Amino acid sequence: MRVYLRYAFKETFTNLWRNRMMTVAAVLTVAVSLSLVGSALLLKQSAAQASAQWQQGTRVTIWMQPNASQSEINSVKAQLASMPIVKDCQYFTQAQDYQQAKTLLPADEWSVLTPSATPSSFRCVPSVPTDAFTVQSTFTNQPGVYQVTAPEQQIRQMNHAIRILQIVFLALAAVLLLSATVLILNTIRMAIFSRRREVSVMKLVGATNWFIRVPFITEGFIEGLLGSAVAILAVTALHTWYPLHNEFALNASALVGTNTVVLVVGVVIGSVGSAIAIRRFLDV
Amino acid sequence: MIRFENVSKTYKNGTPALRNVTLDIEKGEFVFLVGASGSGKTTFLRLLLREETPDVGRILEAGRDIGDLPKWRVPYLRRNIGCVFQDFRLLPNKSVFENVAFALEVIGRPRSTVESQVPQILELVGLADKAKNLPHELSGGEQQRVAVARAFVNRPLILLADEPTGNLDPANSESIMALLERINRTGTTVVMATHDKALVDRMRRRVVELDRGEIVRDQVRGVYGIDEGVAI
Repeated sequence: MRVYLRYAFKETFTNLWRNRMMTVAAVLTVAVSLSLVGSALLLKQSAAQASAQWQQGTRVTIWMQPNASQSEINSVKAQLASMPIVKDCQYFTQAQDYQQAKTLLPADEWSVLTPSATPSSFRCVPSVPTDAFTVQSTFTNQPGVYQVTAPEQQIRQMNHAIRILQIVFLALAAVLLLSATVLILNTIRMAIFSRRREVSVMKLVGATNWFIRVPFITEGFIEGLLGSAVAILAVTALHTWYPLHNEFALNASALVGTNTVVLVVGVVIGSVGSAIAIRRFLDV
Repeated sequence: MIRFENVSKTYKNGTPALRNVTLDIEKGEFVFLVGASGSGKTTFLRLLLREETPDVGRILEAGRDIGDLPKWRVPYLRRNIGCVFQDFRLLPNKSVFENVAFALEVIGRPRSTVESQVPQILELVGLADKAKNLPHELSGGEQQRVAVARAFVNRPLILLADEPTGNLDPANSESIMALLERINRTGTTVVMATHDKALVDRMRRRVVELDRGEIVRDQVRGVYGIDEGVAI
């Protein structure tokens, strides 16, 4: 057994090295396609998580014109108070919004802002998240109202965009995974071809079929493994440095789950590619 | 050791290769297989290796019907059969030692066996001092001796040789024959297909002649052709 393991190991790496250009091409294709798969999975998970978070504290913000008159503000206030679908409302004065802007905006942006140019705002929570739209449509274009924003809608739009992105990623990944499988198949085929003398001697002296096959299978397996390793690095990097990271924060277990999928898919691609090559081109 | 019972084999393109061949080869025998090209010699050897299966009839080796052998057992059958070919079939990027060692390594023999058996067999074929050479650095006769060493290193019960002297000059053919005789004396059954008339005539061993797939002659101490002396 030990003799065999050493033999299979040696053969595998000789093959990988001998066809190193093909190996690199196969590994990179696996890596790129699996990075796409991983990113699509991460996107899906963070989108799900983000909308769950936003659902809890869905807010509608009514931004008043900075020069809105007190009566306009009062009328909005009274109207909000009379709406049963609005659960809770808080008024932020211009000074309060200015203070908040100071903490939220970069220095060069808030420095041009003055308290008198800052809009005051009503921050409201509707009793049912979907009522945010009713509130939005009621107050948009009212006198003194500058803008009504409902993050729910943004989230919905973003979810839509993310879904499209995800479909594009997965479609690309499917095509690339197919080409990765074909590339692995081809490297194994070349390895079989370059070792045809050895294979014929092995058959002649009575090496078992599995003895002959295994080095070629491990070769494909390792190509898949290397490809998924690169993809895992890419997915982890994306997760760590992607700008949406804070807002869409995912816990470590989501990353581990995604990387497990990437690893499994990589290994399966490698094994399937080499299995097909062996079936078709290795006559044992 | 080897028994053909009414064996017939026709290839897919319709060419009959063997027709109703019945033959017994005892353990330790030395048999020449002669006949024109296409007379079925190579098919005979391929059937013994189970690279082909007969359409009709049975082939027994060491008392076992090799037609009953499941596919995965075939490699184990081949471990008992050594093979030598006209074109040597050595691995060009491996040294003499490695070529012979390869035959043991790929059937899972431990390193200790390889290290004790290979020098011994290279000594037997007279190439101990060329162990580190590559095949292309050797003469044809030496390369064929490496091939014989590889075929015999696992001490098979049967040694098949398909025109082993076909590419060699008379002197080298002579040394290969001497080697095969020596192997035969250890009790190994040797079956050799050949066109080398002079060799067969001199050896005076059992001769089986095939003609268009049929056995036309089986002589215990035979010569290459019965029409010897008439030709040319």
